[in-house]
Amino acid sequence: MNELHHVGSRAPRIDGRDKVSGAAEFVDDIEFGPDLLHAAVVESAHAHARIVDIDTSVAEAMPGVVKVVTGRDFPFTFGLYMKDRYVFAQQTVRFVGEQVAAVVARDPVAARRAAEAVSVTYEMLPAVLDPDDALDENATLIHPELGEYPHVPWFFPHGGTNVAHWRKTRKGDVEAGFAEADVVLEDTYRVPRYAHCAIEPHVVVAKQDHAGRLTVWSASQSPYIQRDLFAEALAPIGLTHHDIRVITPYVGGGFGGKAGVTMEIIGAALATAVRGHPVKLRWSREQEFYNTYQRQGLVATIKVGARSDGTITALGHEMHWDAGAYVEYGANVVNAAGLSATGPYRIPNVSIDSLCIYTNLPPGGPYRGFGYSEFHFGLESHMTRLALELGIDPVEFRRINAITEGDELPYGAEMNPSGLVEAIDRTAEAIDWGTTEASGDPRKRIGKGFALFWKAPAMPPNASSASFLKFNEDGSINITVSGMELGQGYLTAMAQIAGEVLAVPPSKIRVETPDTDRNPYEWQTVASHITWSCGNAVHSAAVEARERIIDTVHAARGYEEGTLYLEDEMVKCETDPDFELLLSDFVVSGLEMEDGTWRGGPIVGSGSFMPDFASAQSDPQTSQGGHPNVHYTVGAAGVVLEIDIETGKMKVLRAALAVDVGKAINPTTVEGQIVGGMLQGLATVLYEDMRFDAEGRLLNPNFTDYKIPTSLDTPEMVIPIIVEVPQPDGPFGARGVGEHTMIPAAPMIANAVADATGLRVTSMPITAEKVAMALLEPV
Amino acid sequence: MTIAHDFEYVLPRTLEDAIDVLGRPGAQVLAGGTDVVPWLRDDLIEPALLVDIKAIPGLGEITIDDSRISLGALVTFADLIASPVVAAHAPLLAEMASQVASTGVRNRATVVGNVCSAVPSLDAGPALMVYDAQVEVVGPDGDRLVPLGEWFVGPRTTRLRAGEVCTGVTLVLPPVDHAGAFLKLARYSGEDLAQANLAVVVTEDRNYRLAFGAVAPVPLRARSIEVLLAGRELEDSLVEEAAQLVADEISPITDIRATASYRSHMCRVMLRRGLRAARDRLAGTGPPYGTHVI
Repeated sequence: MNELHHVGSRAPRIDGRDKVSGAAEFVDDIEFGPDLLHAAVVESAHAHARIVDIDTSVAEAMPGVVKVVTGRDFPFTFGLYMKDRYVFAQQTVRFVGEQVAAVVARDPVAARRAAEAVSVTYEMLPAVLDPDDALDENATLIHPELGEYPHVPWFFPHGGTNVAHWRKTRKGDVEAGFAEADVVLEDTYRVPRYAHCAIEPHVVVAKQDHAGRLTVWSASQSPYIQRDLFAEALAPIGLTHHDIRVITPYVGGGFGGKAGVTMEIIGAALATAVRGHPVKLRWSREQEFYNTYQRQGLVATIKVGARSDGTITALGHEMHWDAGAYVEYGANVVNAAGLSATGPYRIPNVSIDSLCIYTNLPPGGPYRGFGYSEFHFGLESHMTRLALELGIDPVEFRRINAITEGDELPYGAEMNPSGLVEAIDRTAEAIDWGTTEASGDPRKRIGKGFALFWKAPAMPPNASSASFLKFNEDGSINITVSGMELGQGYLTAMAQIAGEVLAVPPSKIRVETPDTDRNPYEWQTVASHITWSCGNAVHSAAVEARERIIDTVHAARGYEEGTLYLEDEMVKCETDPDFELLLSDFVVSGLEMEDGTWRGGPIVGSGSFMPDFASAQSDPQTSQGGHPNVHYTVGAAGVVLEIDIETGKMKVLRAALAVDVGKAINPTTVEGQIVGGMLQGLATVLYEDMRFDAEGRLLNPNFTDYKIPTSLDTPEMVIPIIVEVPQPDGPFGARGVGEHTMIPAAPMIANAVADATGLRVTSMPITAEKVAMALLEPV
Repeated sequence: MTIAHDFEYVLPRTLEDAIDVLGRPGAQVLAGGTDVVPWLRDDLIEPALLVDIKAIPGLGEITIDDSRISLGALVTFADLIASPVVAAHAPLLAEMASQVASTGVRNRATVVGNVCSAVPSLDAGPALMVYDAQVEVVGPDGDRLVPLGEWFVGPRTTRLRAGEVCTGVTLVLPPVDHAGAFLKLARYSGEDLAQANLAVVVTEDRNYRLAFGAVAPVPLRARSIEVLLAGRELEDSLVEEAAQLVADEISPITDIRATASYRSHMCRVMLRRGLRAARDRLAGTGPPYGTHVI
């Protein structure tokens, strides 16, 4: 491979100056002038109830109130993968906090007071708060209409039950596999719900002008999906894609919570009710917790068999997902886990059942890790336990069974190139696996934990990306794409890819945040696919621009195309070392010929990318036959954990994570993903603890009682390890890394607790209290 | 979210002016605002009038007079941490203050405000109680002193009467050398409300003062343990005997922050560690103030 100049460099972030100086503009920063109206929603007080009556008369008469709307005004459903979510509740409310009505007023106070004055009469229905209760044959149906909801072809809803989707994966003969095992271990693991806790709450401003044009400014990971779902939901009132424009400036964190469409549909709908006025709806921190998406809860029963030589013979994995009141997005989390719940292991006999179960809790949905964090907790706890039962070192056990290129995946396709064994070895070395450490304090024990992880993007097979690129007079470049900069360094990565192709430093490339009128299509910034997919689109746009540059120079100066190349912002020629032409000399103006005519013209490029090998078509009973996932990113993580056995308090002394990113476009931002993901994963296992009362009301929608770590809670040391086994179809060999780094944190901690104390915790979170109280119990 | 109801705001320049306006219906004192403003936001209080006492001179001082340390009503937790008087005479207070909330809140929140809010988990309560603190109250009928042990009536309820303002608290230092420790049990190292807390004072003549917080409706002095320990060295067996008495002193509940059983267990652990840390500090061998022993 030729030497790389920009890809693989630790280029400074191109959005750094914006963010550090405060120049970066977020939705709530945008001024809309005196016409701006403010909205507040009326929320369901009950987890499950029939709406008998909504009286808006008092609210409508209050000063400053412009409009009060209810489900009668917008009797529409929406959803990404299944149309089961409502713009406003219709006959039924299905979780505490669901939007029942909304007030639009001149100021936020008037809106809030009027919303409080809307009187809703309910008739209570039995609330189903536990997924296993929801499976009872006499359980109350949360969506009696389930059988009628439109959905993607790879979902299998069970109408007349609370099972919204059931993904079955079958490979080999599981019973025979268990029969040939020397040890079979079975247990059940529980993972509660979690919240994303992005620093910026959801906010939307929408305006429908008097010509009918609807413009929506939103804090979103998904401008094009938003436009698509707005157009679909609001089609009955005459809106089309052509009428809708979504603008998404910088976003203050997403983690999946701002994927798809949640509260933004309310803003879009309200704008159509008060034409000519922009309407702002801004979620409070509390609403951020209970009316966007939550990470779904999971009860997983895992059974794994292995021979005494350490070879895994069979895996059974049954996952019951607490998917909440609406599963339009969350059912695909269930689907993704159902295809991949073997973890990164070579297992000949597999049976996976992944059930998406409606409950009367807030809607489940995408969250960094997309189901993999959840099932890895049990699976990677289980693999360590099985290894120890076999008398095999848990790291060695993983080496024996680690999946490698060409191995058969659970659904039959082949595993992509992978550096898993290298990741295992380097992680083990980083935490001195195999040596024990002792604390000087007799009340403290030190243990080590290890876990593997894998994850594939969960996307429709035709999820795609596109890019436009243009040169400016000074040789600088503007790129438009519609991926979102969520803090991960995406804009910089795109600049590095284009810069590599065009020999322009990333600091001279602007990559602009989306406006669906201007920027080309992107599916969504989710699934850790954006560097791979949009990177490929940017790469091809840059290649197209390079071809035009070469064509221009060839046409104007006569050099053969094959001899021209770009270097240091210049065009050079292999056969004429004296030839150097600055890009800034001609990429807009063109090149002048001897007769005074000109050749070339403004250099632009465009690129699209869609994988042509992915397919969601497979046997519903076995998932065999398709190619639903484009590639898996794999890795390993380990921890050295100190535990005070009296208090249960835990301290991460050292953690290491190795991930095979194919190619680190920017090692600094990859390391940021590794450290950041590790911290987010540690938060879910050590601190975050979502609690609901017996009526389904979230008890801690706030940072007073929902704890995410502060700087004081960060580990002493996190060692990021980058492995690079190229992904053949990725830009410069890159594959996704964003979500993966939080996946191994929870089982790694569980394994370290067990190593230090002998205590095996099978439910998250593993708080100090849980550890201390369990250690007090007589064994 | 927006504060959604209207109120008047006054900024009196003298205590007398403040007392005057506090007599009006619906008046609420405002100092640091770290409790009052969130309460306003959440509609937990709906005062007609906010009386901001921050412009009243003299309320921001920490003074020592013989064996008495006075904290004015505007003294913040950050002030406690920075105070040479506190460092020299009652570093336990700074150890407590450094565990309250976060830097931003400590810069704003007042110690007296904490005492007036009277949530069961307040950190200032146990730390002041081991110094036999008294609350200074001024009202239309003059001023009075209320011992802190009588001040707390229940969660969020104190002896403060309508129309009164709390102007400070005064601590009484033990007559002989002493050392202390403040232990706060929290869910993580960041800003948190106490699951349980404990203030310990050990004096040179082997008297012990112990106050628990967040394990009863109000902070409490563990008198039976103090009596048991009085005049005695902290032999291991005695510490264990003391730990056995903890259950009789506290009445913890299970709530979102902890179960009653973890609180009980940890109060015993905290007692053992707190007593030994304070004793060792008095001997000059203990962990430096600010070192968390749990």
